[in-house]
Amino acid sequence: MDNINVLIIEDTPEQSEALNKVLLANHYNVVGIATNYTDALSLFYQKTVDVIIIDVFLNGNPDGITFAETINIVPNASKPFVFLTSSQDRKIFERAKLTKPFSFLMKPFNELEILYALEMAVEKFYEQTNVFLSEDQNTVVSNDSLFIKKKNALKKVALNDILYIEVEERYCNIITEKEKFVILISLTKISTLLDANQFIRTHRNTIVNSNKIEEIILADNLIILKGNHKIKLSDTYKDFIKKMNILS
Amino acid sequence: MTKTKLFLIVLYLVFSTNTYSQYSGIKGIIVNSFQKKTTQFKDEINFSKMTSFFEEDKWDSTLVYSTKQLANKKPELNNYCHYIRGIIFFNKKLYRKSKSELLLINENFDLKPMKNLALGNASLELLEFKNALHYYKEVEKLPDNIKKPILKNVNNGIGTTFIFLKEFDNAEKYFLKNIAVDEAEKNYISLNISYTNLANCYYEEDKNDLAFKYFEKTYYLSQKINDYNAKQLASFNMAVIEEDRGNLKKALAFRKEAEKWNDSLNDQNKVWAVADFEKKFAVSQKQKQIKVLEIENELKNNQRNWLFFSAMSLLALLTAGIYLYAQKVKNAKIILLQKNKLDELNTTKDQLFSIVSHDLRSSVNALKNSNAKLTATLESKNYEELNQLIIQNSGIANGTYSLLDNLLHWAMLQTKQLYFNKESVHLYSIVQQIEYNYKPLLLEKSIDFENLVSKSSFIFVDLDSLKIILRNLLDNAIKFSNEKGKISFATADTQNGFWQLIIKDNGIGMTQNTLNELLNDSELLSKKNNSEIIGTGLGFQLCKQMIKKNSGILAIESEINKGTTITLSFPKTAQNG
Repeated sequence: MDNINVLIIEDTPEQSEALNKVLLANHYNVVGIATNYTDALSLFYQKTVDVIIIDVFLNGNPDGITFAETINIVPNASKPFVFLTSSQDRKIFERAKLTKPFSFLMKPFNELEILYALEMAVEKFYEQTNVFLSEDQNTVVSNDSLFIKKKNALKKVALNDILYIEVEERYCNIITEKEKFVILISLTKISTLLDANQFIRTHRNTIVNSNKIEEIILADNLIILKGNHKIKLSDTYKDFIKKMNILS
Repeated sequence: MTKTKLFLIVLYLVFSTNTYSQYSGIKGIIVNSFQKKTTQFKDEINFSKMTSFFEEDKWDSTLVYSTKQLANKKPELNNYCHYIRGIIFFNKKLYRKSKSELLLINENFDLKPMKNLALGNASLELLEFKNALHYYKEVEKLPDNIKKPILKNVNNGIGTTFIFLKEFDNAEKYFLKNIAVDEAEKNYISLNISYTNLANCYYEEDKNDLAFKYFEKTYYLSQKINDYNAKQLASFNMAVIEEDRGNLKKALAFRKEAEKWNDSLNDQNKVWAVADFEKKFAVSQKQKQIKVLEIENELKNNQRNWLFFSAMSLLALLTAGIYLYAQKVKNAKIILLQKNKLDELNTTKDQLFSIVSHDLRSSVNALKNSNAKLTATLESKNYEELNQLIIQNSGIANGTYSLLDNLLHWAMLQTKQLYFNKESVHLYSIVQQIEYNYKPLLLEKSIDFENLVSKSSFIFVDLDSLKIILRNLLDNAIKFSNEKGKISFATADTQNGFWQLIIKDNGIGMTQNTLNELLNDSELLSKKNNSEIIGTGLGFQLCKQMIKKNSGILAIESEINKGTTITLSFPKTAQNG
């Protein structure tokens, strides 16, 4: 499980410092603090960024909105972001609102508010709302990662690191090459959100990352994954092998 | 004698032409039969023109068109043209020409008796008595129904011819025939002619007594009829006969009378001419009058139109005026209402302004004093008291900040500048976030805070206004709580699409009056009676408006010294994953 990478775009040092402090305290990874539009763009493309916190006004101009607009028009480049603002000026809001998905945080804000805003931004961006705060789910699935809420903070796991997923009632055991942990999500939900070509159901309660399969022993109904994980293969779900043959 | 005889012949002829001018007479017959032909030959314009000119006695024109018609070589109409030419030549006293023209008519002419009559007349005028008699007899031979209209003329002709032939008995017979008819018909004009002719006959026969008797009859008859010509001739004849009888005086008197009638005749002609002229003049006068009347009419019409249009436009103007006036009155009413409302609002604002500035002033003043104390304490290095003062300062600063924050939001709400965007909100997290800011305050008063909000409660509201509401309510709850009090936030699912948020404290509570004042929807701020802890009421007014804007419902229960329970209801987020 990795920490979330946050890019801060904020021209006031006290504000960015306070933000930095709160984020670090909650095990977020701050990849950079930009104070203007140009720096923000170069940092955004240099670093791996998961979430961005943007101040609407940079040096008196609404460059924050311009930045959001810029990353919004590049397909697949955009990331979840939160606007910071001290003004409730309608005009600014009307413009900012066009950069969907739109979430904002009024200044002054406290620690809880900033964490809440980040979670909301991720939820809205991946269109899976009411996840992190509900009692029966704590994971948002993006196209390359799982965003998991652990205590107060978000963590992420790259989908490519996952070997297989084992379902246990309302929980899912995620097994990667390095670790093993539990997330809160239903089997039906995670199977609809994951790419069906990569993640294949091999058993009533098992989903396997097909990229990690090393061997299939049909005689023993067994699948050998990387790291010598042995997975049962049930007769009901054998069909995928035909598909694999066609694919390979 | 010769002179007298001449007169007699002339007398007869004049009368015979006069009969043409009467429609009932020979001219009538001619015109009728000619008009029938005209309708039969519509294309023959010359013929129809000829007929109409003849009808108007324009003989020269008639002659011209008859020549044109003859040149057209329409054989069916040739007889008619020759006949009409014969009649006209006769009337122009060109008897020989008349006769030769009449003789050009062939046997198929349907007005043959008329032709023979005309030929008879012409021959008589040419003194060819035998021929005349022959033509007259031709007519006489015909059956009664055919010869009837012209029988009198024929009889006259025959009688006159016999006079010239000195066969007076025969002449007398024919004239007496005519007299019998005329007396029966009481046709005095015709009778006059017949008497004259008979008198002439007797005169020629030298039966002077009889002649005198009939001349006298003629004379008396002529008095009755309105014909100057007849009167003159009758008088003249009487004069001649009296002269013959040797009564010269009487003869002279009759001659004078004849002259008088002659003058009258001339006069009458003049009178007719004058009358004609007068008639024409009157007609032109009438025409002029008509024209004048027409113009007057037009003028009147114009005037009427003008009046009508001006009335219409005046009416329109009046309507427009009334409409505009009504609009003005309406506008004035609206303006008055708006003015009253504005005045009210302005008063509220003024009041708010004074209260807020008062509050700010006291807060800042407290801070100032506290700072002065802080400096003094710092000098004495009493760190414990220093800490106390700093906590106190931050409390004052927080209070002032929330006052200003409320003021800002109030202003923005009033000017409709506030950004408002409803979204799904996790109530538990928000309550936690609000509590986070008030932790020091709660700690200071040792208030036990409990967040019992259900973690599955998602409501659909504008996040920022919700925060304002909760902040104010929590602020109030803390303000009105005693030390070591208890404040709890809890939820209840109402099952009708709302989440109830119940904010409960066990503080000093409120009286029913205060409660009513708080809930009063008027925008006027509730008065404060305890300046120490009761604020402007601005925060609560703001809450009420924000709740309303979020489609929420507010309910308060309170009991003095037992505490207050505020219940807010907000719509749930629609469940769609």
